[in-house]
Amino acid sequence: MLDRRLAKSLARIVGRRNVLTEPADLLLYSYDSSTARGQPDAVVLPASTEEVSRVVRLCARHRIPFVPRGAGTNLSGGSVPARGGVVIALSRMNRVLEVDVANQLAVVQPGVINLDLQQMLAPHGLQFCPDPASQKVSTIGGNVAENAGGPHCLKYGVTTNHVLALTVVLPSGEVRAFGSRVADPPGYDLVGLFVGSEGTLGIATEITLRLRPLPESVQIVLAVFDALEAAGQAVSRIIAARLGELPAALEIMDRTMIQAVETSFPSGLPTDVEAVLLIELSGLKQALDRQAERCAAICRELGAQRVEIGRTPEESERLWSARRSAGGATARLCPSFVVNDATVPRTRIPEVLRRMQEIERRHQVRITKIFHAGDGNLHTNILFHRDDPEERRRAEAASAEIFQVCASVGGTITGEHGVGSEKVEFMPLIYSAQDLEAQRRVQQVFDPGGIANPGKVFPQPQLSSTGEARVN
Amino acid sequence: MGALSSALRELEAIVGEGNLLTGTEEVTAYRLEGQMPLAVAFPRSPQQVAALLKAASTAGLSVLIRGAGRHLHLGAPPGPIGLVVSLERLDHILEYDADDLTITVEAGVTLEALQRVVGQKGQIAPLDPPGPHSATIGGIAATNLTGPLRLRHGSLRDLVLGLRVALCDGSVVKTGGRTVKNVAGYDLTKLFVGSLGTLGAICQLTLRLVPLLEARAIIIAPLPASQAAEGASQIAGSWLEPASLEIADPRAVERLRGSLPMTTARDRWLVFTGLLGDPEAIAGQEREIRSLLSDGCVRVDGEGADRAWQELRSLAYPSHPMAALLRVCVPMARVAEVMDLISSWEGWWTLARPTQGTIYVGLSQEGDMSQTKQRLVRLRKQAEERGGFAILEFGPPELKRDFPVWGDQPANLDLMTSLKHSYDPAGILGCGRFLPGL
Repeated sequence: MLDRRLAKSLARIVGRRNVLTEPADLLLYSYDSSTARGQPDAVVLPASTEEVSRVVRLCARHRIPFVPRGAGTNLSGGSVPARGGVVIALSRMNRVLEVDVANQLAVVQPGVINLDLQQMLAPHGLQFCPDPASQKVSTIGGNVAENAGGPHCLKYGVTTNHVLALTVVLPSGEVRAFGSRVADPPGYDLVGLFVGSEGTLGIATEITLRLRPLPESVQIVLAVFDALEAAGQAVSRIIAARLGELPAALEIMDRTMIQAVETSFPSGLPTDVEAVLLIELSGLKQALDRQAERCAAICRELGAQRVEIGRTPEESERLWSARRSAGGATARLCPSFVVNDATVPRTRIPEVLRRMQEIERRHQVRITKIFHAGDGNLHTNILFHRDDPEERRRAEAASAEIFQVCASVGGTITGEHGVGSEKVEFMPLIYSAQDLEAQRRVQQVFDPGGIANPGKVFPQPQLSSTGEARVN
Repeated sequence: MGALSSALRELEAIVGEGNLLTGTEEVTAYRLEGQMPLAVAFPRSPQQVAALLKAASTAGLSVLIRGAGRHLHLGAPPGPIGLVVSLERLDHILEYDADDLTITVEAGVTLEALQRVVGQKGQIAPLDPPGPHSATIGGIAATNLTGPLRLRHGSLRDLVLGLRVALCDGSVVKTGGRTVKNVAGYDLTKLFVGSLGTLGAICQLTLRLVPLLEARAIIIAPLPASQAAEGASQIAGSWLEPASLEIADPRAVERLRGSLPMTTARDRWLVFTGLLGDPEAIAGQEREIRSLLSDGCVRVDGEGADRAWQELRSLAYPSHPMAALLRVCVPMARVAEVMDLISSWEGWWTLARPTQGTIYVGLSQEGDMSQTKQRLVRLRKQAEERGGFAILEFGPPELKRDFPVWGDQPANLDLMTSLKHSYDPAGILGCGRFLPGL
């Protein structure tokens, strides 16, 4: 519970109606799209950099944790308070401040929704490349905090490759300008350091994005396989083939996932097959037909039982909508699941798939699998029933084993979703104590008081017992 | 001198006899802008590098980390140099996964060696910084220099997936990993790339590779001054997918003259558009470029294109007769203004990569130093007024002393200094070449 004087101070900064302290309101901000839960003591909804700065300054003065929050689509518990404190919800800061077509950049506030921005840019023939599956609701601020990816990151790179500059409210409340509208300003790369820091180094309140022209043309190849492994092999072969450039996306869905999608959001995918590989090619119209034929040939060589080439935007959209509805479809199949987005060098995908299927059998769990296979990013949703603690334990054990397998082949525990609170305990799988210590030095510099989204990213050597919310 | 000689003995014990040079004659080759190092060490493992940094921290010896020494002209005039840590003997290819299009190399591997190894598998590391191929990968990463291919493949910070770095506390830490996507923990890779050896020593790097494409061409468009920048931005804003895009003013063209497959009128500017990939798509793009820019375009293919690309790369390196070289950065739409300004200055040339807003500005021959300095100050002011900056990459020491090479008041210097202090508390790294205090 927040001190009443503090609540009043917050209200003086953002206005009374933009401070929430009622239990029912707080409950709404106690979860995100992960399984983490933790209640804040208050929620504030600032409208400007200045207001964010004053709120953070107040938190710093009273040593109260703050947790930045966008749309709450976080999949690792990053936007859930681990130690209570103030949630700073950025949803009111949702203006696109500038679209500079000539210089191919945009300046936005953190609450701007990814898809809204894309729709605003498209008439100018431009795009912001990262396209997380949550793009209908997730915010650019959240994309920056998590270094979000998406299927098209195979060709175009993740969020960090597209951020030029940031206005940042540091954990002291001080406002700073990082980066520049032009490439490589002198000094250390503070923008690169900040992107993906999961709200632990401060809050980005203005974001300058690099934009890219939309491709002239897009084509989709859809291949259906009797074996998941063969789909995995096709991915490596397609990337190594000299197509001219990388496909924009290479996505694999397994049987359980396809069935879930077709049940909830029918899009005409065959439901009696082991794997579907979706290949998106983008670029110059003249080159795409040949590229598509070569991809199709590779899939056939590897035993694909059916290969379709989608040439119209409508066909492409239909195929993509199946992919994008995967999260929702999984939730309809079973509302509770452990989300795992471990990532491996892509040539190890077939091997990891074999071991994953073994884990699935041994732990007697159901896993829906949907992979950004081109970059080795394996999204596995391990289903459990909320009222079955034993099943939940098995799901978590299976997830832990998947992390171990992926780490053992040179992979990482998260490709897009972030560490948050849910993967903290797995960080030692990929980083030594010294590696982590080297990272924490950055945190010490930015946030010596430890108030910016505490309990995230790093395994905590010492846990404070006071005011800590339960994270389960 | 007792303390110093015992420190040197300790350094020698770390790298082994014969791997530490201390004789005046031997270290002379490692002198930098008049600063003679006390010793030069040749470690053979990241652990040795870390042990050297730790010992130097204890002894208070300033350290210059060095690859092949191809980019040592960068930076402010150095202060006293205690120890040069040469990474030349860390020259092994550690792991090459051709099918994954990634490679892990030691920092002392040269660009030439790297391209040779991956070339055998039909791949290429899309690094094309200015300067010779004898530069090391570690050095290229420390300086964060990029070249024409950046438009297609991204900057170094986009291409380096992970590092192994030796720190001053004697530890060797891993940053990032081997996968293209990785959001576990802070992205320290970004911090170390481009930090000019001021935070630690990059000992190993994992890089993204790309397939080498058979079909590659450069379309060269000769244009009058007034149309060059506009032409380039038309290409940048079109459906074309250039791999590189550059504008050279007539005096830069003059410097390229021998290597161009054409002669042009003396007042012509050239726009170079690199095209890679599908042969028919290249042909289609060439047609579009001709219709957008000029019928007088000349196309070079294959090895001819490679040669032109190498020449364009090297233009931004102080190997030609050159008195000063600046990297000026402004937003893309303002590139023309800066190029225009300089075109009226006798003896100066410009080469721009408009999509990055980067303009290399060179002064061919030393003239009146006070006029040179005035012009640099003016150029920096113009860049800063447009939201950019100007870095003096090469110049005589007296110019560098008068004109802060990285800028007058770099932003966030306090934060950067704190970061520096947390990795290098004794302040031994860098010898004062980077931003003040770093």
